Amino acid sequence: MRRCKSILLHGFKIVCLLLLCAQQLQAQVPVKSYTIKNGKMFIALGKDIPAASLDSFIKKYELADLDLLHFIQTGTPDSLHKLGWKIDIDNKEIVVISKPLFSADNIANPVDKIILTQKAGDEIPPANQVHFGANWFKNKWPFAVADSVVTFFLKGRTNANAVMLAGSFTNWQQGAVPMTKTDSGWIAYVKLPVGKHLYKFIVDGNWTTDRENALTENDGKGNDNSVYFKTNYTFRLNGYTSAKRVFLAGSFNNWKPNDLLMRPSATGWSLPVYLSEGTHTYRFIADGNWFADPANPDKIPNEFNDFNSVVRLGTPYIFKLDGFTDAQKVELFGSFNDWRENQLLMTKTATGWQYPYTLGPGNYEYRLKIDGKQTGDSITKGNIALVISPNFTFRLKGFNNARIVCVSGDLNNWNPTSFRMKQVGGEWVFPAHLNKGKHRYKFVVDGKWILDPANKLWEQNEFRTGNSVLWMDKEL
Amino acid sequence: MYTTHSLNLADQLKAAIKHFPNHTKIVSFILLLLATLSAAAHKHRPVSPAKKISITIPGFSPDSVSCVIPFSRAGNLIIIKAKADTTEGSFILDTGAAGLVLNITYFRNYPATTLVNEEASGMTGTVAGVTRTEVKDFSFGCIKTNVVTADLANLGHLENNKGIRIFGLIGLSLMLQFEMIIDYENNLLYLHRIAKKEAREYKSTQLKDTAAYAIVPVEIWNGKLITYTNMAGKKLRLIIDSGAESNVLDSRLPSKIFDNLEILRRIQLVGSGDKKVEAVYGNISNLVIGNQNTGSLPVIVTNLEKACMADSYCIDGILGFDFLSLHKIGFNFVNNKMYIWK
Repeated sequence: MRRCKSILLHGFKIVCLLLLCAQQLQAQVPVKSYTIKNGKMFIALGKDIPAASLDSFIKKYELADLDLLHFIQTGTPDSLHKLGWKIDIDNKEIVVISKPLFSADNIANPVDKIILTQKAGDEIPPANQVHFGANWFKNKWPFAVADSVVTFFLKGRTNANAVMLAGSFTNWQQGAVPMTKTDSGWIAYVKLPVGKHLYKFIVDGNWTTDRENALTENDGKGNDNSVYFKTNYTFRLNGYTSAKRVFLAGSFNNWKPNDLLMRPSATGWSLPVYLSEGTHTYRFIADGNWFADPANPDKIPNEFNDFNSVVRLGTPYIFKLDGFTDAQKVELFGSFNDWRENQLLMTKTATGWQYPYTLGPGNYEYRLKIDGKQTGDSITKGNIALVISPNFTFRLKGFNNARIVCVSGDLNNWNPTSFRMKQVGGEWVFPAHLNKGKHRYKFVVDGKWILDPANKLWEQNEFRTGNSVLWMDKEL
Repeated sequence: MYTTHSLNLADQLKAAIKHFPNHTKIVSFILLLLATLSAAAHKHRPVSPAKKISITIPGFSPDSVSCVIPFSRAGNLIIIKAKADTTEGSFILDTGAAGLVLNITYFRNYPATTLVNEEASGMTGTVAGVTRTEVKDFSFGCIKTNVVTADLANLGHLENNKGIRIFGLIGLSLMLQFEMIIDYENNLLYLHRIAKKEAREYKSTQLKDTAAYAIVPVEIWNGKLITYTNMAGKKLRLIIDSGAESNVLDSRLPSKIFDNLEILRRIQLVGSGDKKVEAVYGNISNLVIGNQNTGSLPVIVTNLEKACMADSYCIDGILGFDFLSLHKIGFNFVNNKMYIWK
């Protein structure tokens, strides 16, 4: 009886869907619908749906993984079946697919519930750090800068009685700077270091973002602030004045091609940016054509048998290899260049090999390849550790008879061998660079993972063996 | 010094008599009894005796006290400073949690008992075991309580997502003697502990202009703050949850309800153990709470089957930040009322 009822219900649903689709067909509108009924998602698509219409449907509802275009074209439902979708109707005119929405395994725990109802994109990455930024003002040039002093400008609002500038650089309201009225708005002069700064204007007591600045950022507390980058480098491309649009793409923006639009300048194109210390690679894109910076002789090979231009900011670290003077080729590769080989070729010296490479503060791993043979750490044979500007030292007392002790955690993607500690006196030490925020780690003593016995803070992990926890409250 | 608050009156009386032997505790008992009778008056379906949820009422002073607590936000969660014995830090105000939850990372040395097959707090449902401890003194703002039972849980994942230290969750049991007004616009929490003598008539001065707000009945159901509404001929049981950043509706609700849903996109939620859970995000219209149409309300539609206590004892959805922040909103947990400013 129950089964009979279920069949009748299922049949009724299909008839309803068919009626809906028939109605849409009659109106000569391509069938495309995404609905929820009886705990299931239903997608109905007319077989005659134009490719562009299907593409916009897929993008709108974020259904790319279903490979609906392939299914409509070939009738092969493999990708859909793999993802748990069922084909309800598949005839000459229409296809209807469905999939039940499954419940989360355990939503009893209030913590799981909070995470389940969290909005996508609201997650704050731990220990985040800004490496790059470009300003984006809508109807005006970025604030003028002279001798490190930035002229903040609020356009209009000349009827206001008092305007203050508050930001991350004034400890917000506590050190807010009074602005001076001009004939076209309000100005304030503030000396700022290079990098990212957040700000707002307080107009007669009311806080407001800078309407002329398209860059805003939620502070994670429900408030939007305007974002200003005090820049320290300007990319310039001479010529190409007949190009309609020129973009900049590089390692600093994950090579996104249509992200950084350059502005016309007197001699071509330019874009001022903030770049953190380190080595950055880039190319220009003029009307869709990619090319290296013709004015920059500093280039390294890329994976397309071409070259990327290089910007180096800061003091270079000299990678050195003693000996091996008979070798023909020694190359360097590591986390700082995404482990790309055939890119950083070391230079032979009187006593060995070397390569200057500029790196910002952080923890890095690398290897060398000598005439095609890889070498790593002399003891662990794993990657070699390199820390620039260490600000925290991991310490493990005792374990005097251990052979190899390493620290492993989110600072090195939990690599168990790359951050080898050194025995100094009665303890093992490893100086590291830790950003502000939470860090999880463990020690690995001769292959055995242990919690930090000197740290009472730890939290459970997926192996139910725990991870030690430490918080860096501020950048040191 | 706590008792069990549930819909089983006999059990409650027994527990209350056992745990409230002196004058101070009798006041709490009377308030508890009033709340129970009020809840019973709503005549909702009885709860399966085998699936009861318990929440604990800590030992408050019987006197009234008022304060305004500024709060910050982690995403859309309310963060307030609180102190558990000697440990002070950020706690999430979570009306979706039954009681106090402490992050075990910072309270590791507290003596703990594991209660096997205890019903969990939070969204309801069963878990294998709950690790529980006791805090001698717990305070936030002007509120001081003593001997509070707390669940110990790993809030590490939440800390990683929010990027801040989170010492725990302040759940419903800590608010049961209060009138609480949440002003999201100004990041302020108005709290007033309602004394016995003012229990019937107490109202904040903010509630003087009765035309400015609507009153909506609420109740405590299985450790949850609940309100009811009707939509497309179906009575919906909705949790009011300041610890939920989004509103949620059960995908198994009648199809007529989803005739009011404009789907915006498919989304992946993060379930327990980082498991991805498929869901749909959109705007629901024609949802009326307390005679006020909520307009086009953002909502996640997902399967809430695991939130059911038994086949017939399910919640139909959650009203989270996207609802609570629409207007100034208040609660009188003694008189079971929700105030929604217009």
